[in-house]
Amino acid sequence: MSANEHMVRRLNNRTVEVSLPSRMGYERIAMDCSASFAKMVGFAPERIEDLKTAVAEACINAIEHGNKGHPDTRVLVTMNFNDDRFSVSVKDGGKGIARLPKDSAVIQTIEKLEPPKGLGTYLIKQLVDEVEFNDMTKDGHAVKMVIKLTSKPLSFRKK
Amino acid sequence: MEHPTEIGLETMGDITLFDIRGDVTALSEPFINDAYKKALDRGVSKILLKFKKDAYINSGGIALLIQILAESKKNNQRTAITGLSDHFKKIFNMVGITKFARIYDTVEAALEAMSGPS
Repeated sequence: MSANEHMVRRLNNRTVEVSLPSRMGYERIAMDCSASFAKMVGFAPERIEDLKTAVAEACINAIEHGNKGHPDTRVLVTMNFNDDRFSVSVKDGGKGIARLPKDSAVIQTIEKLEPPKGLGTYLIKQLVDEVEFNDMTKDGHAVKMVIKLTSKPLSFRKK
Repeated sequence: MEHPTEIGLETMGDITLFDIRGDVTALSEPFINDAYKKALDRGVSKILLKFKKDAYINSGGIALLIQILAESKKNNQRTAITGLSDHFKKIFNMVGITKFARIYDTVEAALEAMSGPS
């Protein structure tokens, strides 16, 4: 790996960046890194599990749909903890999600035992406190999500 | 990076236990389909899917499980799940998988509940 192909680097005391190759399986690096960071700043184990799944699903979408698995592309995951908020941005070189499936449509598909489209985005929406899809940048697209340190896990919340 | 899926099949009376190890992702498809086909060839009527507590399961893996549940419903097989961490119990409940396969805390509890007639 050359110097410009770093995987994890600290940008400042509150921010860590992970650069992943667009290959399935590498989402686990971002997942584990976010878990370590969240543990370090005091998140409860249940919320860390929520964060891990949300980060993994955002990375999978970026690898598969954003960068279309192109070997020359990277997925950039930036994590920041500030004022009770753990923010994660997952950036790819794609054009964003053209049509975000409705939650009800995802669940209805599963109830019919048919292959669900948009399950990853559905899970992200359920597991984090805030999410913004289709944040377009000059060189691609980002998904931004926030989990709050003081928020309760889903098992105690009404969504 | 991927921990390949391994599935061991074990027969316990009229129940076939799928002992699922490694990641459960879209890449698990050939392993899960192969195990299900073997179980189908044996004519099983009850399936218990056993996961590892520390399993990495993503949306691709959940989609595969939905596919297996669809097949088992079509083939009149009863399916149950065990071994999941609390997080994945929550996720499976969230997506509605529990409407088609009940989750048990232990293999023993699942076997006892499934031991009656289908």
